Amino acid sequence: MQGLLDFAEGPLFRLTFFIMVLGFARVFILAIWGAVDAYRKAGDKTIAWGTATRKTIGWLVPIRSVFTHKPFYSMFSILLHIGLILVPILLLAHVRLWETALGFGWLTLPKTWADLLTLATIVAGVAIIIGRIASSNLRFLSRKQDYLWPLLLIIPFVTGYICSNTAVTPATYQILMLMHVLSSELIFVLIPFTKIAHCVIMPLSQFIMLIAWRFPAHVDDDVCTTLNKKGMQI
Amino acid sequence: MDRARIFKSILWAITGLGSAALATRFLIGLGAIANMNDAVPWGLWKGFNIFPGIALAGGGFVMTAIIYIMAREEYHKYAKISVLLAFLGYLTAATALVTELGLPWLVWHPIIFWQHHSPLFEVSWCVMLYLTVLFLEFIPVPLEETSRFAKIRIFLTKYKIVLVFLGIMISTLHQSSLGSMWLITPEKLHPLWYTSLLPILFFLSAVAIGPIMLILAILVITRIYRRRTDSQTLSKLGLLSVFGVLVYGLVRLIDIGVKGKFAMIFDGSWQSTFFLVEISLMVVIPLVLMGVRRLRNSSGSLWVASLSAVIGLGFDRANIAGIMLSVDGPMYTPTLFEVLVSLAIISAAILAFLFGIERFKIWDTKWEDPREKPESHPDFDRSAEVWLGTPRLAGRSVYSLIFVVSLAVGFAIIPGKRIYSDGVQEVVSQKAYGGDTLCIDGNRDNYGVTFDHKAHVVRNSNDSSCVLCHHMNQPNDKQSGCYSCHRDMYQTTDAFRHDWHADPANANIGCMECHAIDQERLATTAKACDQCHKDLIPPGATITIEKYMAPSYTDAMHFLCIDCHRQKAEELTDKPDLALCTTCHRWKHPNHLQDEVAEKYNHPYFNHVVLPQKGSKEKGH
Amino acid sequence: MKAAILTDVTKCIGCLECVAACKKTNKLDRDFPRSWHKNDGLSARNWTSIVEKPEQHYIRKQCRHCLEPACVSVCPVAALYKTKEGPVVYDPDKCMGCRYCMVACPYGIPRYDWDKPAAYVQKCHMCIDLIKQGKQPACIEACPTQATIFGDRDQLMAEAHRRIKDEPEKYINKVYGEFEVGGTSVLYVSDIDLEFLSYPLKPGTEPLPDTMKPAMEAVPPVFVGMGALMGGVYWICRRREKLQGEKEGNKE
Repeated sequence: MQGLLDFAEGPLFRLTFFIMVLGFARVFILAIWGAVDAYRKAGDKTIAWGTATRKTIGWLVPIRSVFTHKPFYSMFSILLHIGLILVPILLLAHVRLWETALGFGWLTLPKTWADLLTLATIVAGVAIIIGRIASSNLRFLSRKQDYLWPLLLIIPFVTGYICSNTAVTPATYQILMLMHVLSSELIFVLIPFTKIAHCVIMPLSQFIMLIAWRFPAHVDDDVCTTLNKKGMQI
Repeated sequence: MDRARIFKSILWAITGLGSAALATRFLIGLGAIANMNDAVPWGLWKGFNIFPGIALAGGGFVMTAIIYIMAREEYHKYAKISVLLAFLGYLTAATALVTELGLPWLVWHPIIFWQHHSPLFEVSWCVMLYLTVLFLEFIPVPLEETSRFAKIRIFLTKYKIVLVFLGIMISTLHQSSLGSMWLITPEKLHPLWYTSLLPILFFLSAVAIGPIMLILAILVITRIYRRRTDSQTLSKLGLLSVFGVLVYGLVRLIDIGVKGKFAMIFDGSWQSTFFLVEISLMVVIPLVLMGVRRLRNSSGSLWVASLSAVIGLGFDRANIAGIMLSVDGPMYTPTLFEVLVSLAIISAAILAFLFGIERFKIWDTKWEDPREKPESHPDFDRSAEVWLGTPRLAGRSVYSLIFVVSLAVGFAIIPGKRIYSDGVQEVVSQKAYGGDTLCIDGNRDNYGVTFDHKAHVVRNSNDSSCVLCHHMNQPNDKQSGCYSCHRDMYQTTDAFRHDWHADPANANIGCMECHAIDQERLATTAKACDQCHKDLIPPGATITIEKYMAPSYTDAMHFLCIDCHRQKAEELTDKPDLALCTTCHRWKHPNHLQDEVAEKYNHPYFNHVVLPQKGSKEKGH
Repeated sequence: MKAAILTDVTKCIGCLECVAACKKTNKLDRDFPRSWHKNDGLSARNWTSIVEKPEQHYIRKQCRHCLEPACVSVCPVAALYKTKEGPVVYDPDKCMGCRYCMVACPYGIPRYDWDKPAAYVQKCHMCIDLIKQGKQPACIEACPTQATIFGDRDQLMAEAHRRIKDEPEKYINKVYGEFEVGGTSVLYVSDIDLEFLSYPLKPGTEPLPDTMKPAMEAVPPVFVGMGALMGGVYWICRRREKLQGEKEGNKE
């Protein structure tokens, strides 16, 4: 068991963590590269910067949706996002691990806050699954991964909370820790290749879309030529 | 998938794996990934990338000489590709050199600090100059794509002959000076390779085999892209370069004969075998396959001959730059990561080469693809058009994925902190042995002291003296040995064995017995040792425990002995030498223990740094 | 004065005081056995060491400070240089870490910081600062038995020969360092053979830099000569082309 844990915390962690980080870089670069390529060929080169900025801020700070429609669902969603971002990065135990590996750490959450936030995240995750099942509109839009993702995301939170707060025997501790580590690593690997990649693409996605969704100049002529309908209107 | 894409995918994967090792080397140090050591300061990167890389890139100056100076028009179609090949070959060598330097950001130092006696000084100047020359020779090709720098392009094309002359003169110098570099090692290099003609031999072999490298490159790309090429011209070029090979072989053998070393070639040692292999790869096989007319015209023999010559040249350079140097110290075998870095640099260069020949107008005419149907697709988008191979846009997503995943795998397989732990293998300390006179050699390097235990007990008032030196950390204990906790010999270590305490088979103490439930589980918040081990520090003891960490065994012992001896030296005015090293380390072992020690730890030197073999690690108690 | 060190192997008791003094004076870190160390005790943090040979023989190993050093002649940036006092000294500000000196040294002395991202060559500099102040190197100062002594090279050479002459049955009749590779500043007298201090194919008495001299002196003539040769070939080929062109022109 200890050997398995060592492997999960050593090589496997490095593998998955680097896949996540480098995968982010790849997704990001490809998105921008594609956008620039499309823009270079585009016939119409005007960009609505104002609209894009407004929309991006609206996406990043989704306060409005709390007051307009689905207040509970939106609130839980915001809570889940806050927990998902803050707890793994600012938890004292994690920062200690970074300190030993990198030689420097950063500020941490107080233990009570971290515990509360963890519980809140778990609750929010469960609530979101229930919300998806309960609402017929959402159910219609949801794919399988939309149910599975919140479930997968809360596994490390549950196991981590048990490990750091309740008295367990060393054997149970190791099993729980292994689940904690392995589930987190599964998340790491999946992030850059699934919808969760929105955590890096999001801030720019509006701009990228505005820039990239252009038709190349003279594309209509090309299409007409190919269809043997030169000079005709489509 | 077509051949080119599979080939490029593999190259991207290797580049990714090697880049991880490369990043580690720059962040932590050479020792983190390389097995180079004080006895073998130049390793795989010198013998595999730098010396062969520059020699094989010699095709650039030879081809330009043949085409522009001797005006052999039939080879003109290979002018651009040979310059590109040379440019990338030199870039490979330069990248490997930067990887290999201890202070890579100071690689420009030879420009301002001059030392004209050194061949390496001359080589570094020449390589810098020649890289510039090659860049200027090649840059008109990509510039044809755009209309912007037309003036520069026309200027460079017009005065190309100046660049050609410069290139040849510079190449002559550094190709030979690479050989001069080894003149300084008569006491290390094997006599079959060491000769005062090394510079001439290096130059001749580069001239002869440089064009053969070009032949090989053209054969490879025709195979990958399934194109046809003019094998008539290639075999003619082969015949031309085989003359060079002949000259090289003759000079080398005559030199060996004149110096009376002929007998050495056939003396049956492994060095002589290597020599024979090298000569047959480099000289005999190409000479036969390319020299005989009937064989020359088949593409199979062209393949074998050029491969053999190229490998032979690489083998020759590797022999001189490493394999045949006598080593006084630990043997050198490259680590997996050195190999990966080596291959990654070469893969990246091949990818750049393929990009160059696909993207730019290296060829005077577009190569015909026999499978292609010309009217099969509309040309919507001219930006994807290339001279050879598939459109570049298609590969972007696949190649980047392969690169990213292999880079992550590379980081995963690099053992964490190898630099700190692998060099220092954990050696579990041993108990002192002997009777009343103890032989203390806790770190088992045969450099211990004999310790008159009985005399020390008597001098320090008998029974009550134990506590002066010994901890008492176990129940009903009188004298726990130092080795029971200070187990690791070379490093500051955690003297508290957490695993033992938590293990159900041993102490079986649950976490909560030491760590409070509501607190972080850290050393600082845990219960102190003496809360369980009541008599850990008995009254009157000279040893105290300040932290859980203990220095190494040697330090612990030194601290214990020297501290006490210093104190006593002040008290007993008649023994001023008591605290000197030589008081204890005068003789290492008494004679009656010598044989036993020699049998047990058979090391040639007492202060050796040869580490105990892996597997001899004993289980601690 | 040409500073030199004479080590008498018969007098050394192997106490390692010189090693300790060297570490203290040059502020060298503690060293742990590493996979990249040679088994002679020298390392980037041990500039001198004691090699033990059977029957209580201790040989202090350190840089030999050759009179015509190979390392100085090969260093491409002149980071290693021979001072007028005698020691061969290293300038870390010039070094770029090519390690050619380590390859060239016939005694395998320079060592490297393999475990650092910015790595330097490390070797004994005979405490050049102390010598300039008129003091002795730290290792000499620390030796409790005067097994290793410091002084002018000629005087030490005379002293070495005197010792061998006084007790010919005790010493091997050879001053190690008198002639090898053109002479070294660190001399040994011994009662056992010290050939193991250099590589198996023994260096002769010829200074190593001389092996490269002919090749390096040929550099400028070769550069010009190659240019002239190529120029000649170019002229001939062009002329032949031109003549051929004219001939074909005439035919037409």
